[in-house]
Amino acid sequence: MRLANFAAAIVFSVAILYVSFVGAGPLPALGPAFNPGTGAWTMAFDASIGRETQHLTGLQQPVRITLDRDGTAHIVAQTDHDLFLAVGYVHARFRLFQMDLLRRQGEGRLSEVVGKKALDSDRFELQLGLLRTAEQEWNGRPGPSERARMAILAYTQGVNDRIAQAEFLHQLPAMFTLLGYQPKPWTPIDSLIVKGDMTQTLNFTDTPLVMALLERSLGPDLVSKWFPVLPPNPQSPYDPGPYPARPTVAALPAPQISGAEAVAAADAYQRLASRPAGLVATGGASNNWAVAGTRSASGGALLAGDPHLHLTLPAIWYQLTMDSPSYHVAGVSIPGTPVVLIGHNQHIAWSLTDAQNQQTFYYSEVEDAAHPGQYSWNGSWRRYDTASYDIPVRGGPTERLTVKLSVHGPVITERGQTTTVWWAGNIPSQDLDVLLGVDQASDWQQFRDTLRGWYSPTHNFVYSDDKGNIGMISAGYYPHVKSGRPWLPMPGTGEDDVDGTIPYDDIPQVYNPPEGIIWSANQRQVTADYPWYIGTASNFFDPGYRANEIHRVLSQGGKLSAADMMALQTDTRDYLASEMVPILLTVMPASPARDLLAGWDYRMETGSAAATIWWAFWQTYIAQAFDPWWKAKTVPVDRSEMNDSLGQYLESQVMAGSTVCPPEGCSPSAICPTEECSRFPLNVALDKAIRSTLDTLAKSLGADPKTWTWGRVHQRTLQNLAKITGLDYGPRPDRGDANTPLAAPDFPSSHGPSWRMVVDWGSGTFMGIYPGGQSENPASQWYTDRVDTWWDGRYAPMLTADQAASAPGATSWKLQP
Amino acid sequence: MTGGRIFTIALIVTSVIGAIGIFVGGWWIVFLIGLAVGIVLPARAALILGALFGLATYLEPLLRDHLIYGLGPTATSLAAIMGYPHQPAIPIVLTCALGLLLGLAGAWLGSAGRAFFQPASSR
Repeated sequence: MRLANFAAAIVFSVAILYVSFVGAGPLPALGPAFNPGTGAWTMAFDASIGRETQHLTGLQQPVRITLDRDGTAHIVAQTDHDLFLAVGYVHARFRLFQMDLLRRQGEGRLSEVVGKKALDSDRFELQLGLLRTAEQEWNGRPGPSERARMAILAYTQGVNDRIAQAEFLHQLPAMFTLLGYQPKPWTPIDSLIVKGDMTQTLNFTDTPLVMALLERSLGPDLVSKWFPVLPPNPQSPYDPGPYPARPTVAALPAPQISGAEAVAAADAYQRLASRPAGLVATGGASNNWAVAGTRSASGGALLAGDPHLHLTLPAIWYQLTMDSPSYHVAGVSIPGTPVVLIGHNQHIAWSLTDAQNQQTFYYSEVEDAAHPGQYSWNGSWRRYDTASYDIPVRGGPTERLTVKLSVHGPVITERGQTTTVWWAGNIPSQDLDVLLGVDQASDWQQFRDTLRGWYSPTHNFVYSDDKGNIGMISAGYYPHVKSGRPWLPMPGTGEDDVDGTIPYDDIPQVYNPPEGIIWSANQRQVTADYPWYIGTASNFFDPGYRANEIHRVLSQGGKLSAADMMALQTDTRDYLASEMVPILLTVMPASPARDLLAGWDYRMETGSAAATIWWAFWQTYIAQAFDPWWKAKTVPVDRSEMNDSLGQYLESQVMAGSTVCPPEGCSPSAICPTEECSRFPLNVALDKAIRSTLDTLAKSLGADPKTWTWGRVHQRTLQNLAKITGLDYGPRPDRGDANTPLAAPDFPSSHGPSWRMVVDWGSGTFMGIYPGGQSENPASQWYTDRVDTWWDGRYAPMLTADQAASAPGATSWKLQP
Repeated sequence: MTGGRIFTIALIVTSVIGAIGIFVGGWWIVFLIGLAVGIVLPARAALILGALFGLATYLEPLLRDHLIYGLGPTATSLAAIMGYPHQPAIPIVLTCALGLLLGLAGAWLGSAGRAFFQPASSR
C-alpha cells in the first residue's frame, strides 16, 4: 500500500513537473510561462505606461521622451549619439519580439525557436544571402560611413540596454516566455538584416522563372502578346521625357528555353511559391504624389504618401519624432533600424513607393562532367565558392547547409540545370547612411544627391518642401545587362552578365514639372521611348489603374487641399471598371444586374452590389478567356498569379473593340493575336463570362442582385505577426479592391495602406495614421488603438515634441546616463 | 495553539515564501515547499495545506495585478494565444490549477516518501 502510494505520488509529481519544465505537445513549459510573477502575465504590467526615469548604459546626456496619447514617441536628445540610443531603447521597449522575428527571418534562425516547420524558410534565406550581405556591409571595405556606424552602434546599445533591463526585471515580452527562449544581444548586423528583409519583400522576384515556364508551355508568340515588355494598356508615366539619347543595342537572337532550363525553373518556382508570403515580391501597391504650391489652396506644396504592405499586428511601422543637434525629423521607422523612412523634417517631406524595376536575374550555369564542381564563365572554368551554415532546430538535430556561389550569386537549384540568382539586394550598400542623409536634407539638391547612393529596393521617392517645390526620383540600382532577354533565365557564360547600372542622371525623375503634379503608384515611370530596359510590364510593374486614377483626379484643375489629398488616398474608384463597364453594358442583356451596373459610380464601397458584379465579371472573363489555354497547353503556373498581365491584355483588346462582334459576325483575325487563338475567341468568352457571373452570384448570394453587396464578399484582416489568429483584427467588411487608390487586394485582404501621410506646407498640416498601434503587447491599449481611425479614413496630427508634451494624455520618460 | 491556528499560520508562511520565490522566477519553489510540508505534517493536513498554499501563491499575484492594472486584456490575450479567443477564464484557471497541482504534488510526494521510508517501529 505504501509502495503504491509512493509510486503514485512519484508518477503524479513527475507528470506535473514535466509539463511545468518541458511542456507537452503544443503547450509551452507551463512553469515559467504561467508563473504569475515573471511569466506571460507580466504583459499586464508592460501594458501599463506611466512616468519613468531610467538609467541606461552608454547614454552621454539626459534624454527626454514624451509618449503622446496614441503612443507616438517624441525623443529629444542633446547629442546625435543619444538620439539613436534612445530610438533603439524605445523600439525594443515596444517591439522587441517583432525585431527578433525580423532578424531571425533574415538570418535563417527561425527554426531555432519554432522548430522544423521553419526549416525551408531558413534554408532559403541562407541560400539567398541576406546574412552574407549584411556581414559584408558591416565588416567589409569600405564598410559603413562614420555617420551610419555611429547611429547603428548607438542604436544597438539602446536595444541591448532594454534587453538587459527586461531580463533583470522579468519583463521580456510574453512571446519570449511562451516560446521559452531569451533574445540574444542585438548586433549592428541585425539592423542591416532588418533592412534586407524589406528589400527582399519588395524586390526579390521569381518572374524570370515564371516567364521561362510560360514561354516553354505557351510558346514565344503568345507570351510576347500576353506578357510583353512594354505595357499594352494606356498608362500614366510620371516622367514622360524627353530622355537622354543612347545608342540602340541590336537585340540578339535568343535561344529557346531548353527542357533542362524548364525543369530548373519549375523546381525553383515551386520552392519559392511554397515560401511564406512576403519573402518573394509579388507585385507592388503603394501610392504617393505631390502638388506644387502653385496648384494648392494653401499656396504651399502638398505631399501624400501611402505605402501598401502586408498589414500586420504589430504593424511594420513605429511612429516617432527625433530631435537632436543634427536631426529634426518626424515620421515612421521600421523597428530594428535607427532611421525615419517616411516623414518630414523642418524643410522637406518625402514618401516612397516601390519602383518595380527588375533587380533579380537568373543565370543558367554551364557545367560539364569533365569539370566537376566548376562552371564555365568568360571562357574559363571556375570553381564554385561555398558558404556553410549550421541551422539549429528546436526539438531536432542541427542542420548543416552548404551554399554554392558562382560569380552571379547563389545556386538556387541544381535540378535539370544549375541555376544561380543575381539580386541587387545582395550588393553591399550604404542604404542606411542614405536614409540618414534624407532625414537631414533640407532641399531638393541635397535630397537628390543623397539618394545617388541608394541601391535597393528601388523606390519612387516623392518630395515636397517648404518653398513650394515638388519632385520625384526613382532612386536605386538599375542593373544593365550586356545582352540577352533579362526577363528570362540567361546563359551564365558571361555574355549576358550585369555590367553596370543606368547612369543616375538617366533614371526616371522630375522636378517642378509644369503641370504642378507628380504621382506614382508602382506604374512604369517612363514611356515607350525610354531607351533603357528596366523590367517587363507583365510582372514587375503595376497594371497602372491606380496611377491612372490618381492622375485623373489631380489633373482635374482647381486648387487642391490637404483634405483633397486625404479623400484621394481613401478613394475607391476603380479606373479599370470605369473603362470596361460602359463597354460591357453594350453587350449585356437587360436585367436587374445590368441596371445596377448602369447606375454605378465605379466605387468599390461595401454597400455597392454593382462592385461585386463588376469584380466577379472581370475575374470570370479572365478565367473564361485564358483557362482553356492553360488547360490545352498544360501551363505549370497558377493562372490567377498572372491575372494582372492577362487583365492588361484583355483590357487592351476590349478597348480596341476586339471582343465585341459586329452584327455580321466576328473575324477571327480581329479578335485573336494569332491564328491559333481562334480556338478560344474572346467574344465567346465574354458571353460565357456574363452568364456565368450572374449564375454564380445568384447561387452564392441569393436571387436579388441588390443584395450582392461588396461587403458580403470582400473583407479585410490585420494579421498577427506571429500568426496567432486570435490576435488578428477582423475579418471585417471593407471597401476597395486591387485597383483602387485605397488598395485592398485579395479575399480577405491583408495588404494595403500601411501608413497614410498628408503634408501641406502652406497650412502647416502634418497628418498620418497607420493600422495597428505602437505596442506589440496585445494587452496594451496601443495594440489596435489606431485601427478604427485608419479604417474610417481619418488621420491623426503628427505633433512635434513640444506640442506632444503639452497635449492631454501625454506621458514623459527621462533617460539618464 | 490550536491545530486550526497552526494550519492558518503555516498557510500564510508558506504562501509568503512561495510568493517571494515566484517573483524571482522560482515557480518550482511551490513544489519544494509542498515537499517539505508533506514531510513535516500529517498526510491529510499536508495535502490540504499543499493544495491551498499552492493555489494562494499563484492567485495572490494575479489578484494584485488585477487590482493595479486590470487583468482582463491580458487574460483575453493569453486565451487568444492559447487558441481560445474570448475565453479569458482559461489562462486564469490554468494558472491557478498549476499552483495548486505543484503544491499538491510536492505535499503528496513528501508525505508518501516519509511514509515509505519511515521505519515501521516509528510509525
